[in-house]
Amino acid sequence: MDKLTIAMPKGRIFEEAYELLVKAGFDLPEELDDSRKLIVEAPNEGFRFILSKPMDVPVYVEHGVADIGIAGKDVMLEQARDIHELLDLEISRCYIATAGLPDTKMDEMTPRIATKYPEIASQFFRSRGEQVEIIELNGSIELAPMIGLAERIVDIVSTGKTLKENGLVEYDKITDITSRLIANPVSYRLKQTRIDEIVERLRK
Amino acid sequence: MTIQMFEKPLGMRDDFPSIVKRKSKLSKVGIKIMELFGYEMLQTPSLEYYETIGKISAIADNQLFKLLDNQGQTLVLRPDMTSPIARVAASKLLKEKMPVRLGYYSNVFRAQLREGGRPAEFEQMGVELIGDESLYADAEVILLATEILRGLNVESGRIVIGHTQLLQQVLRGYGLDAALAEKLRAEMVAKNKVAYENMVDNLVDDAAAKNSLKLIMNTTRLEDWEQWIDQSDAVQQSLYEDMRKLKTLLDRNGLADFVTYDLSFTSHMTYYTGMVFEIYGEGSGFPLGNGGRYDGLMKQFGLHVGATGFGLRVDRLLEAMPAEQENAKQTLILFNEENEENAHTEANKLRAAGERVTLQFAPAVKAQEEFSSLFSKVVRMDGEENG
Repeated sequence: MDKLTIAMPKGRIFEEAYELLVKAGFDLPEELDDSRKLIVEAPNEGFRFILSKPMDVPVYVEHGVADIGIAGKDVMLEQARDIHELLDLEISRCYIATAGLPDTKMDEMTPRIATKYPEIASQFFRSRGEQVEIIELNGSIELAPMIGLAERIVDIVSTGKTLKENGLVEYDKITDITSRLIANPVSYRLKQTRIDEIVERLRK
Repeated sequence: MTIQMFEKPLGMRDDFPSIVKRKSKLSKVGIKIMELFGYEMLQTPSLEYYETIGKISAIADNQLFKLLDNQGQTLVLRPDMTSPIARVAASKLLKEKMPVRLGYYSNVFRAQLREGGRPAEFEQMGVELIGDESLYADAEVILLATEILRGLNVESGRIVIGHTQLLQQVLRGYGLDAALAEKLRAEMVAKNKVAYENMVDNLVDDAAAKNSLKLIMNTTRLEDWEQWIDQSDAVQQSLYEDMRKLKTLLDRNGLADFVTYDLSFTSHMTYYTGMVFEIYGEGSGFPLGNGGRYDGLMKQFGLHVGATGFGLRVDRLLEAMPAEQENAKQTLILFNEENEENAHTEANKLRAAGERVTLQFAPAVKAQEEFSSLFSKVVRMDGEENG
């Protein structure tokens, strides 16, 4: 059996994705995420897992170094990569929203928007015909309105706790996000039977 | 001031000698096979009018390199080869020779919008068979494409075949209007099964219809298609019948195990009107090439004839081709002023015998040992001993 390389996001999504695979009856090693290893084998299934940053999963898959992968829809919306989106795994549910300090209006000229998702943010404000300046940050986005860097942020919201703790409120919901099973277009065709079988088992 | 070493326009690349060597071999093999099938090679200009080729090519506008000529006309660097060849075929010169078989090996230009890794200029080779609407023409170009892959020793390729017109008809059969059918098709183009299934759920109420619509994205064999063919519709019947004949023909040529028939496979290129296909191979994460029937494009040039063809990406073929041991022999003759005449005589003698000879004035080489190590044989004619 040919080895199938699967790109998995480290961190939050990993736990849920791993559980999902085990529940679907895949025979995986007990603890995949406990070491600092970046490549982990699951010999009983012929899987090789690549553990990567969530943002990088679609990159590995698009270039074909991973046959399939599990990635958040947020990342795919941001990057628009050429991959097959095969199944909504319905895990790591959250949504993307705009947020800011309570009872504030956006500056009329060019309000500043801080975000990890410049593409999604830009598209959203463009669709509303609003001219904005996008400021790309890599983390702790909530800081931006608090210290006056930006009037709004565009970020992931799962429970809303982080926003609340930092005195921010949500303004517009942009889109719902879940994790998806994705495949490289070439791998999908060369290993279609095997990949389709995985999709069917995860669908149940 | 020295110019920055790596400064090149976005997406432009230098090809180093080893790549140039492999490319030239690849083009030789490819052109030879195209010619064996009766195709004649054609070259078209790098620059075309934006109004014609730029707009017809189906490459997104923001991927075109545009410039102005000295009369103020907008030009484009050709983004594909199919539309220029269609333009040539529609000209008077070739109109009388239909069906005409043309091949090409050319560079095309597509501006890159994201990250530096993608080339903005790359070579394509392929053919266009213009003036034949039969399935035999479709079969011919698929067989020719696979023959080229075989000639290049690309292992375990796979071909996925769909049919644009049949797919459109099938979608319309669900009572969807053209705009909705196109929306569903767009999700197929995006390879987004999740969005497609969600859209079906929203558009269709009947549970059975919902189910069968969703299944279109799971087809892999031609027999799978049959359940969607309306037996009372003569057009669908005849299109499907053609596909069956095509399959028989491909099977007979040893492709039975290499072809996937996916009814949902379609292209973003809107000029495709019939059979469409894409080719994949081990070793490259991206498709090696694609093709199909594009009668719609010919119409734009005022020619009501069928046309079919394919293009292969040379850069991706290079990835999928097995690596070869490059052991071409190269001789170095190092000479000094005194032996200059003898060295030239010796070099000419060896070259006449087919040996590759580099003739080098010894004092001009700073690191003689390193330089000599690049050659399979070194002849000293500079007064030093061989060693």
